[in-house]
Amino acid sequence: MMPVPLLMLGETQVGVTVRIIALDLDGDFVEWFRAVGIHEGERVTVLRRALFGGPIHVRTGSGGEFALNRELARSIRVAPLAGPAESAPGADEETGA
Amino acid sequence: MSAGPSCHGDAAGARVLAVGAGQRSLVALVGRPNSGKSSLYNAVTGARAHVGNFPGVTVDILEADISLPGGFDVSMADLPGFYTLESTLDPATDEGIARSVLDRAASDERGLLVVQVIDATQLALGLRLTRELAARSFRLLVVVSQRDVLEAQGRALDAAALAEAIEVPVLAVSARAKATGAAVREAMAKEFERDVPWRGTPAWDPAAVARQVVAEVGTVKASARRRREFTARADHWLLHPVLGPLLFLSIMALVFAAVFLVADPTTSFLDRTIGAIGARISTALGDGLFASFVSDGLLGGAGTVLAFMPQIVILTVAMELLEASGYLARGAFLVDRLLRLLGLSGRSFVPLLMGHACAIPAIAATRIVRDPRERLTTILVLPLMTCSARLPTYALVLTTFFPAGSALFKACLFVGLYFAGIFSGLVASFVLRRTATSGRTLPLVLEMPAYRAPQPRVVAHQTMRGALRFLREIGTTILGASAVLWVLLTVPAPFASAPLDADVYADSPVPARTMVLERSVGAMIGRTLEPISSPLGFDWRINAGLIGSFGARELMVSTMGIIYGIEDASSDPSPLSSRMRAAKRPDGRPAYTARTGLALLAFFLFACQCMSTVAAIRRETKSFRWPAFVLAYTYAIAYVAAFFVYQVSGLFIAG
Repeated sequence: MMPVPLLMLGETQVGVTVRIIALDLDGDFVEWFRAVGIHEGERVTVLRRALFGGPIHVRTGSGGEFALNRELARSIRVAPLAGPAESAPGADEETGA
Repeated sequence: MSAGPSCHGDAAGARVLAVGAGQRSLVALVGRPNSGKSSLYNAVTGARAHVGNFPGVTVDILEADISLPGGFDVSMADLPGFYTLESTLDPATDEGIARSVLDRAASDERGLLVVQVIDATQLALGLRLTRELAARSFRLLVVVSQRDVLEAQGRALDAAALAEAIEVPVLAVSARAKATGAAVREAMAKEFERDVPWRGTPAWDPAAVARQVVAEVGTVKASARRRREFTARADHWLLHPVLGPLLFLSIMALVFAAVFLVADPTTSFLDRTIGAIGARISTALGDGLFASFVSDGLLGGAGTVLAFMPQIVILTVAMELLEASGYLARGAFLVDRLLRLLGLSGRSFVPLLMGHACAIPAIAATRIVRDPRERLTTILVLPLMTCSARLPTYALVLTTFFPAGSALFKACLFVGLYFAGIFSGLVASFVLRRTATSGRTLPLVLEMPAYRAPQPRVVAHQTMRGALRFLREIGTTILGASAVLWVLLTVPAPFASAPLDADVYADSPVPARTMVLERSVGAMIGRTLEPISSPLGFDWRINAGLIGSFGARELMVSTMGIIYGIEDASSDPSPLSSRMRAAKRPDGRPAYTARTGLALLAFFLFACQCMSTVAAIRRETKSFRWPAFVLAYTYAIAYVAAFFVYQVSGLFIAG
């Protein structure tokens, strides 16, 4: 198996869908964070980034949309999915966000 | 907010015992934020809710008494939305409140049914919470709403398979359909009859179950595609890096300007009505002390309360529309970076915005801020936001000191004052986060709900509730403060022999009420303070007005009315403003100039002249230290700002 390239959600390009590998966060907060809907194995599409290092806007595979602080997103390890073509059927993908 | 400041500690415990047995069973409606809980609650209860009495809980929890089929009477409570009950949390957050209500209801005698609302389009997310609730052995019913939306997306939910997989009864509904309320009531009755709480630790995986019970059955309907495209397109513009913030600022400015332009005529109409009633009372009761107490003390206070109802209503409607449409979360996204610089996050944005209607509900709304330090900071700077109570005083100052200004000029000044309040709040939080409340902040995680058309009924209902709460909480404080003020301005000070300032009243006979006031305790305090207030341009009369408005800032206008011998100042402020303009100092110069007006505006901008706010801070922070701190720092800033404005403007404006 190919080694998974190290990538952080905070650096992911707009429009790219990735899968969450690990959350490098404090214990208390990480549990709450998983309950909100950002957890390992979840598919995440970056919709946009706010200016000047502001939050990023993502959509998860479960259908939720969230604003995430940029530093927080830098603590979320992700792996790229094969490409835009690989989006699951019926998934809420949007074009040209 | 359901009970007064005394609802803590022993009192709360006593109330639990008092209501213990013989109570209706409780249906607790729970769910993630934005899961469609409020719509379902309205559908089931028919919007007959009142604020429930939950001991120790300081936020409004709506409760309605409903009859289920089979003659079963229950109370249904709409708990705050939350994501999890498991993670360690601050008891003051939504999760903490929901958990304490659930735990208490589960442990007392009354039966408890937990109804969880899940948005069908986010089934996996909702089922995570279901698993937690099931693990706690609550009697549980899952209502999957937005079924119609799911079907429009070409997907179908197998409710029976879901119920089997999670071993919890499931009902799938369309929240806005007419039959929904009856269907949910029937399902609830069935659960109460079943009377067998489900127990055990669930072994199923939310994501796997969600995949298993939702099937792709058809093509995406045009309506669903339009809906999704609409949200994407709206976000494209509303969250645009450049246009987004501009649109956001315009919307805010529009709301604030509307408050002034619409509320102003309505307010003066209400004022006139109250003034007329006051005149009637004076005629009926004569000139005695009692008549004065009723018409000046009580009715004056009541008039002040009613006078800014229109502003409360307009701002609440605006906030509700922004919130229900989903825009408020976008606003938080846009301003998060800015607030971050100041040690806050996008989550603080909603309470700070609400503070422009009234600080009291906004202080309660800070519970959506998860970080305790950030929450405290938000509470501490909230009194600096321009709440609607400041408006009558701003209006008096503007008509008095800037008589030549056009309506547009005044509206602009109003908007400017709003932004000055916001700016000072941001600076204050910047300083606080580096001093009194320093420390790390939890990062922003905020759900961005799909845009929805607000339901007029829900908005109307919320607005009504806001107005009633305002009447109940703020109204009583204002009435009380008004009565105390009347005493202060009536009871003669010992050894009072101050002569009347003849010049002030040169153009008309001095009313008896004014003569009484000139010799009162309040006037004496005002005179005593003159040495420290004269650098701000305030004479003893303004001081007395400020003392009068210590409890509630909106009392400034009626106090100044009494001081200047206007029997019904609130009915029409123009004679008051013209008398204030005509007032002279002993040496013949005008008592007040535009500089005084600017200094007064600066003072009112900062000073926390609101006992209700202080009481609310006391309740939310559970300490006396923080309310005392708020009083101290806002008055200190107010004094310095007024001093600065008065002295610096002296370089440019004569007088």
